[in-house]
Amino acid sequence: MCGAAARESRIRPGRRGKRLHRTDFVAAAAANRRNTNRLVLLLLLIGAILGYLLGWSLELYTTAAMRQHGVTVWYLSPWGVRGALLLTGFGVLWIVLAFLVGDRIVLGLVGAREVGREELPQLHNVVEEMAIAAGVPKPRVYLIDTPALNALATGLDTRRSAIGVTRGLLDKLDRDELQGVIGHEMGHIVNLDMRYATAVGILVGLIALVADFAFRALYLRGAGRRFGRERSGGSGTVIALLMVLIFAALAPVFAKLVQMAVSRQREFLADATSVRLTRNPHGLISALEKLAVSAEPFRGANRATQHMFIVNPLRNFSEQASRLFATHPPIPARVRRLMNLNGD
Amino acid sequence: MNLTMLVVLGVIAATSVGMIVLYNRLVRLRNQVKNAWRQIDVQLKRRHDLIPNLVEVVKDYMSYEQETLRQVIAARNRAVAVEGQGFEAAMAAEQGLSGALGRLFALMENYPDLKANNNVTDLMEELSSTENRIAFARQFYNDSVMTKNNAIESFPSNMIANLFNFRHGRYFEIDTAARETPRVDLR
Repeated sequence: MCGAAARESRIRPGRRGKRLHRTDFVAAAAANRRNTNRLVLLLLLIGAILGYLLGWSLELYTTAAMRQHGVTVWYLSPWGVRGALLLTGFGVLWIVLAFLVGDRIVLGLVGAREVGREELPQLHNVVEEMAIAAGVPKPRVYLIDTPALNALATGLDTRRSAIGVTRGLLDKLDRDELQGVIGHEMGHIVNLDMRYATAVGILVGLIALVADFAFRALYLRGAGRRFGRERSGGSGTVIALLMVLIFAALAPVFAKLVQMAVSRQREFLADATSVRLTRNPHGLISALEKLAVSAEPFRGANRATQHMFIVNPLRNFSEQASRLFATHPPIPARVRRLMNLNGD
Repeated sequence: MNLTMLVVLGVIAATSVGMIVLYNRLVRLRNQVKNAWRQIDVQLKRRHDLIPNLVEVVKDYMSYEQETLRQVIAARNRAVAVEGQGFEAAMAAEQGLSGALGRLFALMENYPDLKANNNVTDLMEELSSTENRIAFARQFYNDSVMTKNNAIESFPSNMIANLFNFRHGRYFEIDTAARETPRVDLR
């Protein structure tokens, strides 16, 4: 895969070789950012459609719309538009609020404690080196006391960020590997992944909540309907009802798929950023390989925090079988992409 | 008439907003380059401060390497002397120091006693971290210079750059002599 000549040029990169690497990972980063933006837009769109359908069906039920439009349901419903605007507006507002308040809860949730320089000088040195390479202030350093091998980063902007690593990681990795992992976490920080994760998480939660609400409302209404005015709606309402039901059933699933896709994109992007910072893909590659074979379970993580770690801490399912619902790409795929970045 | 006026005004407004954005971007890039250079300075200073400690600790173990130690100290003093005297002087002195330190590190491999000494391992971690930091600071500096130069050369920001006299940044380059790895004699 990588011959002696290639290794030589990595140690003392010639100009041409270095530039080649750069274009590669800059292109990778740009593609990743584009993908994420599209996925966030897709989520907003799902939310808007859900809002529209709800407003529309509400209008069909409660107003004189049936009389105005006859039996047809194919018109632009003003209530639907209002519903769509309301739901997207609410989503955006919620995201802004989340950015303003609490982002430090995560570290408490996973049981991390801040450590000083005198306790772990090498870890502090590596973090500072990566901060210098990225041109950002040094994040605070946290330790998670568990033999599991993992690391995570938090912080909604580069000036207030933190990196946490597990005790097992410090014990098992050498300096180069640790640097690759810290570079990956620094990548999450400089790529503002926590913002993406927070925004996407809120949108997914909102869509699930509204879809759930729609389900219950329609179910109750349908149950009540059977006793009395069975024929009041006509075929239009039945179509509307069906569409809302189908969409309310599918929207949360789609939203979850999108969220996981975003998460996987950001993992690839952070890997690419790590190589941009360290200029040494081999540290991260061998670290990922060690993390892949490590069998230590990590009890501090749960479904809410799993996407923040460098490898998925919850491994009770087959990575291949549930690929679409995984927060992290499979490690062999990540290693393959890193080999590609290397240019040989 | 009125419409023409509006269009003209609109074009003028759009152009000036565009110019302001481009100008601000250039200023930001120039400051980033300056800041990156200062970061290199900070790390070089840190290296200068650490070297006397290291020499003090290792000199009892490495009594046969007095010449190498003297060279390191001399190179360090030269580098300290040109602190704050600008780009050219600093680069030459730091290259000399890097070479001398590289030789010392290579020789230290021959002394297993040194590695057993906690003081030495702590100092070595600090020094190798400092070497890394210098390399990463240089990398960030060069990246910043490249971004700034791209902005200065590419259209349309090159017009603003010419108008307000933004100059090209210079890359921090290591000449071929300093890039040679230290030769280790394996007798």
